[in-house]
Amino acid sequence: MVSHRQGNAQRISALDERAEALHLKRDMGIADARAMHPCIDIVEADPEADRRLLEGLADWCDRYTPLVALDGVDGLFLDVTGCTHLFGGERAMLDDILSRFFHQGFDVRAGLAPTPGAAWAAARFCGDRIVGSGEEEALLAPLPLAALRIAPETRASLESVGLRTAGAVMAAPRAPLARRFGASLLLRLDQALGHLDEAISPRLPVAPLSVERHLVEPVTLTEDIERLVGLLATTLKTDLERRGEGARSLALLLFRVDGAVSRIALGTSRPMRDPRLIQKLFHERLAALEQDIDAGYGFDLVRLSVLAAAAFDMAQADLTGEVADDGADIALFADRIRARLGEGAVLRPVAFESHLPERAVANIPFTEAPRRITPPRKPGKVQAPKTIFPPERPIRLFRAPEPIEVPATEMPEGPPRNFRWRRALYRVTRAEGPERIAAEWWREAPGDPSASSRDYFRIEDADGRRYWLYRQGLYGGSQVAPRWFMHGVFA
Amino acid sequence: MAISAVARETVFALRRQIAKIEGTLPERLQAPAGAPLDTDGSADAAPSDLTIVRRGLAAALPDAFLPVGVERLDAALGGGLPKAALSEIHGLETREAGAVAGFALSLTSLILKQAHGLPVLWIGTTEIFREAGFPYARGLQASFGIAPEQLLFSEAPKLVDALWVAEEAARMTALAAVILEIRGNPQRLDLTATRRLHARAASAGRPVFLLRQAAEPEPTAAPVRLIVSSAPAVPRVTVAGPLAGSIGRPAFTIAIGKSRTALPGQFTLEWNPDERAFDERRGQRTENSVPVVSLPRGRKDPAAASGAVLAFPAPRSSDVGSSATGGQPPPGQRAAHFGPRRAG
Repeated sequence: MVSHRQGNAQRISALDERAEALHLKRDMGIADARAMHPCIDIVEADPEADRRLLEGLADWCDRYTPLVALDGVDGLFLDVTGCTHLFGGERAMLDDILSRFFHQGFDVRAGLAPTPGAAWAAARFCGDRIVGSGEEEALLAPLPLAALRIAPETRASLESVGLRTAGAVMAAPRAPLARRFGASLLLRLDQALGHLDEAISPRLPVAPLSVERHLVEPVTLTEDIERLVGLLATTLKTDLERRGEGARSLALLLFRVDGAVSRIALGTSRPMRDPRLIQKLFHERLAALEQDIDAGYGFDLVRLSVLAAAAFDMAQADLTGEVADDGADIALFADRIRARLGEGAVLRPVAFESHLPERAVANIPFTEAPRRITPPRKPGKVQAPKTIFPPERPIRLFRAPEPIEVPATEMPEGPPRNFRWRRALYRVTRAEGPERIAAEWWREAPGDPSASSRDYFRIEDADGRRYWLYRQGLYGGSQVAPRWFMHGVFA
Repeated sequence: MAISAVARETVFALRRQIAKIEGTLPERLQAPAGAPLDTDGSADAAPSDLTIVRRGLAAALPDAFLPVGVERLDAALGGGLPKAALSEIHGLETREAGAVAGFALSLTSLILKQAHGLPVLWIGTTEIFREAGFPYARGLQASFGIAPEQLLFSEAPKLVDALWVAEEAARMTALAAVILEIRGNPQRLDLTATRRLHARAASAGRPVFLLRQAAEPEPTAAPVRLIVSSAPAVPRVTVAGPLAGSIGRPAFTIAIGKSRTALPGQFTLEWNPDERAFDERRGQRTENSVPVVSLPRGRKDPAAASGAVLAFPAPRSSDVGSSATGGQPPPGQRAAHFGPRRAG
């Protein structure tokens, strides 16, 4: 028995057959239940875990249709329009669903009807019933008002005027019903009867292309899965070719025998349709996820979906099999590395207009995105004057400038004579500078210590190593003493 | 000579193309030692140096060596750095990371002179990028002429991942060069790992530079190991003569740790960012810098110690700001200095 807190009282939120046999009911107070049967076993409800379980089941139901929606906390909608023939008809599909859930240890009620409302009612009040087109009224008529999915208050007031079944409501004149009980009652009624369309909102976007393979014998080996991916990708290729597209984003869904679903998604930097390359990418991804994917008793359904596609440009290869475009190799290489090591594994520097050294270059994850970010020059516009001698910049920059200890400088504004960095003392033999770089006041808060300007010095130490130091702040000017930082290394 | 070299190159390229179409490996005779086609220095090779090299498809280049551009170093290396190979560049301490990376980048810059537009991949572990700093694209462009569009960085959290990326990258012909940066002497970077890298680099015909920061020399499959440390830079050269107290072009001290010729040597090179070429510094101190015996392993590079003895006195900080008074040229030069000004 599972309890939950409602208001100030602990109430029963769910109970099993044995508890039902003891005449306990839902929404009964725990104190009452304990008074009746002191030895009952009570577990605190965990709505989060319930939700996760339901979502897991929804993932699993993806094997029947891509349109799966959650219904409250204890139901799932499956839009199986056009999918039933794949499983041998409606009855066979329903039996398949029920038997598979049964073997997973779930007690499931299912109903199949032309409208979501009727299916809902059939599942909850008739159990395992298939309602044909036009039979909705006959199904609903004997059912209680709860089968209409209406608010409890509406139901109570309907019952108070003597309308106790859905059939009675259907027989009643519509206008007074609408006036007295609001439009939602008639909306629900019309939706259940099919007079109005009702759309379910699926959890996941429907992939434009999907290929799947049901396996009689579940597979467990990674190599088998990779081979299957290759086969599926070959099928996918013809579909992509027909559409003139290549995949930009792919997902591999592995349905385990006991109901768990693994979803492996990856993106590509340019449209791709070659099965060999797709298999290669998934090889890397599967190698990276080796610990995370538990094959258990094996996967009995493998599906490869194209989540996003883009136009694919064909390129003619020459006799040696080489395509002139070298970018494709790099893109594929980057894709493979990203598939294994994550999005940020391959970085590409992009120059930005900024005087602050750390902002002047941004290292962004590699994509085939536009190579230049700076807008093209307008002919009439006045350009900033170009410096003939660009300022010296280090070849390596520390991610965060490292504080250094500077005992003394010869002049207040001059370079240090020696400094201590990473617990080692360095003697400065030569120095160039300062190069003053003011903070970007339009970005930082005015009181921020990082908003003060920096004086950069190029330093050579006694061993000939060259560093880039800076002093933040000025001597004497403000209350805050200036601090010294190591920011980069020269060749 | 030049025409025949060009013709030979064309013939080799065609032969390679045909071999690729037919799917057969070209087998050919190569004279690698001392007979680089591009350098006009020591062109005649001893007959004993002739070796039959059987290589993969892309590696059958007529010029298998990258001449550094400094005659003595090229001669000591036997023609230059091998292009289709793994080369180790060592730094003895992490703080030498700037010099080690700078030397590798200048070699990359030399390669990019020939392979236009191809990107360069720099792989490093998170550890080394944290300890020694992340490559800064602005500085690379200013000092080595490598445009940001040509650069790719890969940061791997673990050494295994970095090695995997490097192995994948080493066999790509679409990259001009691969730089792999590792700190210390990890167990995993052993002879086998370097052999794998070297084999892939050789079959792709592209260089792989293995930068080993703060590492002891170990057995390696790389044919060349250079030990790099920074050398004091000379002052900037201005129209008015050297500017006292200024820091000029980057300079490196290179010691050969391993090479095919097994000749020891120590050189001080200066990188010229404008011409993208090396100059050897032949000052008074570096003239007889080649040691009689090879350097003992594990001890500090003697060049770094000698580097502290500067010909130029340490400047007072007042000199930096007002260098015009510090670097007062002699009267003879002054007239020459004013001459072009009037003309301009």
